[in-house]
Parts: sequence; C-alpha cells; structure tokens
Amino acid sequence: MDEHDHDKEAPQSLGGALLVDDDEPIDDEDDDVLEEDGKADYAKEVLEGILDRMDLEARVRIREDEERIVLDVTGEDAGRAIGKKGQTLDALQFLVNKVVNRFPEGRRYIVVDSGDYRDRHDKNLVNLARREAKRALEQGRTITLQPMPARDRRLIHLSLAKFDGVTTKSNGEGLGRRIQIIPSNGSRGGGGGGGRRRRR
Amino acid sequence: MDQLRELIDYIARSLVDEPDDVRVDAIDGERAVILELTVAPSDLGKVIGKDGRTARAMRTLLAATSARMRRRAVLEILE
Repeated sequence: MDEHDHDKEAPQSLGGALLVDDDEPIDDEDDDVLEEDGKADYAKEVLEGILDRMDLEARVRIREDEERIVLDVTGEDAGRAIGKKGQTLDALQFLVNKVVNRFPEGRRYIVVDSGDYRDRHDKNLVNLARREAKRALEQGRTITLQPMPARDRRLIHLSLAKFDGVTTKSNGEGLGRRIQIIPSNGSRGGGGGGGRRRRR
Repeated sequence: MDQLRELIDYIARSLVDEPDDVRVDAIDGERAVILELTVAPSDLGKVIGKDGRTARAMRTLLAATSARMRRRAVLEILE
C-alpha cells in the first residue's frame, strides 16, 4: 500500500514524477490518460505562440507517449529556446503546463524538450550525484551541492536512494535550496582513522 | 518594445479566466522598459503563481527576449 516504494525506481522511468516538489509524495491518482484529449495539439499551439512572440525561429513537434506529452523544439534558434542552464526551456515548460492544465480535469504532464537536451541533462545530474556521493563517502563528510530546481533535486534524491552509505536531504529556501549528501554513521570509508569532522 | 508587450500579453491571456481584462502597458524608460500587467483581481493568483513561480517564468522569457534587443525589461504586476 505504500506508494513511496515508487521513489526507488530507476531514474530512467521517472516520467511525470519529476513535476512535483521533491518533498511531496508522488500522486499517481490522475494518470487516467485520454488518448485523444486534444491537449497535445493545444500545448503545441501555446508553445508556438510564445516562441513566435519571443522572435525565435523554431518548430515544435509532438512526441507523445502514454504518460506525458513531449514537445520537441527544433530549428535555428533551438539553443536560444534552451537558454543558459536550460532556464528558458524550464520557463517555457512551466508556463505551457500552467496554461494547458488550467482546469483540474484531465491534467497532462507536458515536457518541453529540444532534441535530447533533457536526457543529457538528467544523465549529467545522475553522474554528478554518484561522483559526489563517492566523494562524501571517501572523505567522510557532508557534501553540499549547488542550488537546483525541485525537479533536479528530486532526480538526485532518487538516484542516490539506493546508493549505500549516504543519505540525502535538501536544505535552504526557495531558489537557494541545495542538496546535502551525508555519509551515514558507521559506514565511513576504509583507510585509517582520519575521520576528523570539520565544521563549516 | 511592442514585441515585449505582446509576449506578456499573450502569456497572461493564456493563463487567466478573464482574458478580456488583461492589459499590458509599456513604459519606456531610460534604462529599461517597464511592462505593467493588469488582470482581473480574481486572476492575480494565476499570473503570480505559487511562490511567484509563474511571474518568475514570465520574467525569464522576457529577459531572454529583451536581451536580444539589447534592452532591459521589467515586469510589474499591478494589484
């Protein structure tokens, strides 16, 4: 009965789970997907409308699967639609979701992507998480990552859920919220007694 | 400048229940364009969002667009 077991799934199959805040339980209730609800076309139209007014030369293609709608931005200005650290792409995605899911019924999770940007970004995050978790273990100290959006923090929490010897938590408020990777007590990495704890 | 106004106008109209009540006034200052967004009082939450996230997303797109025009643009939501 415990839905939280889903938290331990491999990151590749997270799907819509990444939309919610990393501290909130996953709500799987409203996944009754309608094949032809017209939301994908509507989402595409909204995204094109915004890109057009941003004066970006870009096309939008729909890649739809059973749980989410992926809008793929291609063309000359695709890089501009991604923006620095994906900030523009995230803002586009956030707004398109807000517009399309304005009404509570039949919510659909919409991903705005460009080529394999999201995929590469997620793989980089998972690699970073593993690398830093190893470092936390080896050095026997807590490692604090850069501030990240909820979606990215969630991915890191999930990808380290099965990593032996460390736990993760988020600290700080709003845009400054960061993940801490904490070595569990008693599982200090081998190699002598240098486990002196430093504060700050 | 008109383009920036239209960007915000389009997004705001798409977000609210009362699109006819959306108004965006552009004030062209020395250092920046100020865009004043007015919506129906019942729609304020829709353009601001939880913890201001919707407003922030609009500002991100506004910044990306205005940077290419070598302008600085500020979005103000009037209450």
